[in-house]
Amino acid sequence: MSTALLLVLLAIGLPWLGALIVWWTGDQRPRLQHTIAVAFSAAAGVAAVFLLTQTSPDVVGYKELPIWGRAFGHITFVADGLGVFLAVIATVIGSLAVIFSIDYMKGEHQLGRYYAFVLFFIGAMVGLVLTNNILMMFFFWEITALCSYALISFHNDDPKAVAGGIKALIITQVGGVGLLVGALVSANVFGTFEISEFLANASMEVNPVPLTWMAFGCLAAAAAKSAQFPFQTWLPDAMEAPTPISALIHAATMVNAGVYLLARFYPAFEEVPYWTTAVVAVGAITALMAAVMALVANDLKRVLAYSTVSQLGYMVYAIGAGGVLASQFHLFSHSVFKALLFLGAGAVIHAAGTRDMRQMGGISKQMPLTRNVFIIGALALAGIPVLNGFWSKELVLETGLAHGPIWAYVIMLIGAGLTALYTFRCVTMVFFGEAHSEHHLHEAGPAMKTALIPLALGSLVTWLAFGPFSEMMKNTLPFHEIETEGTLEFVTKIVTDPYTMLTLFVVTLGLAAWCFRSKLGGLASALKFLGDAAQASFGFEWINRGIVSITQWCGETLRGTQTGLLNWNTAYIVGALVIVLAILLMGA
Amino acid sequence: MTLELWNVGLVTILVLLGVGFYGLLISRNLIKMVVALQILAKGAILAMVLAAKLQGWTVIGQSMALTVIVADTIVAVIAMAMAVQIRRHCGTLDVQSLSNLRR
Amino acid sequence: MLLVYILIVAATAVCAFQAIRANRMLVSAIWLAGTSALVALMIYLIGAPEVAVVELSVGAGLVTVLFVFAINIAGEETYTTPSRLPRPLAWGMVVLSVVLLGWFFLSRTAMPEAIAAPNLSLYEAIWQQRNLDILLQVALIFCGVLGAIGLLSEDKPIEEHPAEVKS
Repeated sequence: MSTALLLVLLAIGLPWLGALIVWWTGDQRPRLQHTIAVAFSAAAGVAAVFLLTQTSPDVVGYKELPIWGRAFGHITFVADGLGVFLAVIATVIGSLAVIFSIDYMKGEHQLGRYYAFVLFFIGAMVGLVLTNNILMMFFFWEITALCSYALISFHNDDPKAVAGGIKALIITQVGGVGLLVGALVSANVFGTFEISEFLANASMEVNPVPLTWMAFGCLAAAAAKSAQFPFQTWLPDAMEAPTPISALIHAATMVNAGVYLLARFYPAFEEVPYWTTAVVAVGAITALMAAVMALVANDLKRVLAYSTVSQLGYMVYAIGAGGVLASQFHLFSHSVFKALLFLGAGAVIHAAGTRDMRQMGGISKQMPLTRNVFIIGALALAGIPVLNGFWSKELVLETGLAHGPIWAYVIMLIGAGLTALYTFRCVTMVFFGEAHSEHHLHEAGPAMKTALIPLALGSLVTWLAFGPFSEMMKNTLPFHEIETEGTLEFVTKIVTDPYTMLTLFVVTLGLAAWCFRSKLGGLASALKFLGDAAQASFGFEWINRGIVSITQWCGETLRGTQTGLLNWNTAYIVGALVIVLAILLMGA
Repeated sequence: MTLELWNVGLVTILVLLGVGFYGLLISRNLIKMVVALQILAKGAILAMVLAAKLQGWTVIGQSMALTVIVADTIVAVIAMAMAVQIRRHCGTLDVQSLSNLRR
Repeated sequence: MLLVYILIVAATAVCAFQAIRANRMLVSAIWLAGTSALVALMIYLIGAPEVAVVELSVGAGLVTVLFVFAINIAGEETYTTPSRLPRPLAWGMVVLSVVLLGWFFLSRTAMPEAIAAPNLSLYEAIWQQRNLDILLQVALIFCGVLGAIGLLSEDKPIEEHPAEVKS
């Protein structure tokens, strides 16, 4: 067994093993449960970090397993730059979220269920990004959706949490059908489940129609998973989850799976007519719409959720414009600073006991550390220079300007200004201004600090890794065209680019708009209709609600077939036999 | 093996499968359903032996048929045990009354 | 010879059908034993005496004993009304599936070229080629023993409420 394969299996297997052990430990011993969860997630993190030294485009795994058969392809993984760096994000931020949970979930009931699902999720996420088998990717994809559902609805006596979980499950599952279609087309037309073989063989000249199906199927799957237009409304509703979950699953990892999917298959799909335009359009519309929605939301976590949707829009847009590297670099930055923001918000919510920003304010003195790290994250989100969000957003915008349509660039530029505006609004409402609550708030606990500080440092410095990052991507992705650059070159390029000034000007405009908001009263009231529309999710809620209710209606209707009568059950079996035989005979 | 035997074997298999299906579909008694299942399994065993003979892989097919016999017997044992326990707990073996127990 | 074959088929059909139709369970079990014996005969005629012996002893012997035993414990039950599944539907499905199966078999009479079969004795085939099967059978027999224990276990008084863990 090669080292790479061993590390891959460890990074997937250790969290899963930990999930079982935490479950078996039982809820009578919460301290032991905390320890086990931290130990296993950290061990997976170590395995994933070591995997960074083993990146290569080679396929590793089991090609000929006698008991596996051929129906599901081979159990293969590929530890290339794209997958490994996402696995590192999943496990490292995963362990930080688990560490944060020690304080956040203290005294909660059913910790076993919580940690088991978190660890199950981490393993599945690592599998999702490292596997080279598109069918296995689908399985891991669905496992992450399942864990996401179970954790959103963790407080299962709260109807809002249950509804949010069901909504997330159904929407991502409906999108997942697109990926399944992609897997089946790949097996049928290209004769393989192996992603590397598919990327090598797929060509628009030979199989235009199946490739188009796959491309748009994957786009649907990605849009549903990454909460992109028109499926963007499940993510805000998913904010009923415990905050470490929001940080891990709904900001740093699972929602990136859609972006990862598009990036992974980009070389095969870029020739499909209208596909890149569709991707750019989805990204741009989502980025702008979600930014406006973030501007009018009053729930702290919903603001962060909308901003996640918006930033994911930037990544999707970058892929549509051909900037796989740019999108992944922004994904990297975003995972770090958004996890930081969510965990910081978690500390505030834990202390304040509410998520409504109107109830907060004036707590900057009581929680200085949380305030400082939150502001670092917020500045990175707003795209203020030197923080990682600035560099990656500049790269995205620059790629978009060079290769994408100009209308999309303008939209993204407006989005950048809005991002700055809602970020400052959020920070001011939460930490500054007048206190709305009488009681004294406690600073974050030690475990919370342990999770927050590395993320804050990461937001300051991860951009320095651009050189090695692009090098790794270039060397290990044989099908993608990636231009490598040293960090210094990259920095020089961004700093000397005149369009950087333009972006910074727009960001400053956003800042100024917040500072002088009282003078802009007339403009604000003129745009009130926009705010109202944004609060109503621009009406796209009905698409999502429709999907959910249709699915639930189907379930209710099909329940009639479950008579509980054994004879009927055997009748279904015989009926299935008849159908299978008929298909075989027709095929023969 | 003669062509006659092949045809006759085929008819026997079909008869056993048909009767087995019919029994599973119309029986109300749990034990009766297990009887029907046994008849189905006999059809399957016969089919396996016959096909193995026809293909030339005689011994492989036969050893598989032995496995099926063992598995099938165990199924019968466990089904009987379940039927007896169901009878003890619910007082009936009627699948229709049992289906009323569902919530 | 054909006449003998046809007689066997007819007898098998009658036995199987009677096993399904019989009102009393004990009678049903006896008919099942008859079916099993006839199937064993058929297997012997095809040329697999070892399998035939096992089928006769296990299928006709052991399973019948088991049925009689279980029916004695569980008791007879007869029902006046038929199953709630519509009878024509049941007939239709059976006829359809049998016709399709037969068609399927006949459409495949042109067998693919026999792959060079390994020249093994049944003993070698079982113990060397199919040792995974043996492993599986051991596991199954273990399950069967557990099942038999369940069958024999005397009824405990049924607790009205499931035991609650007192903390």
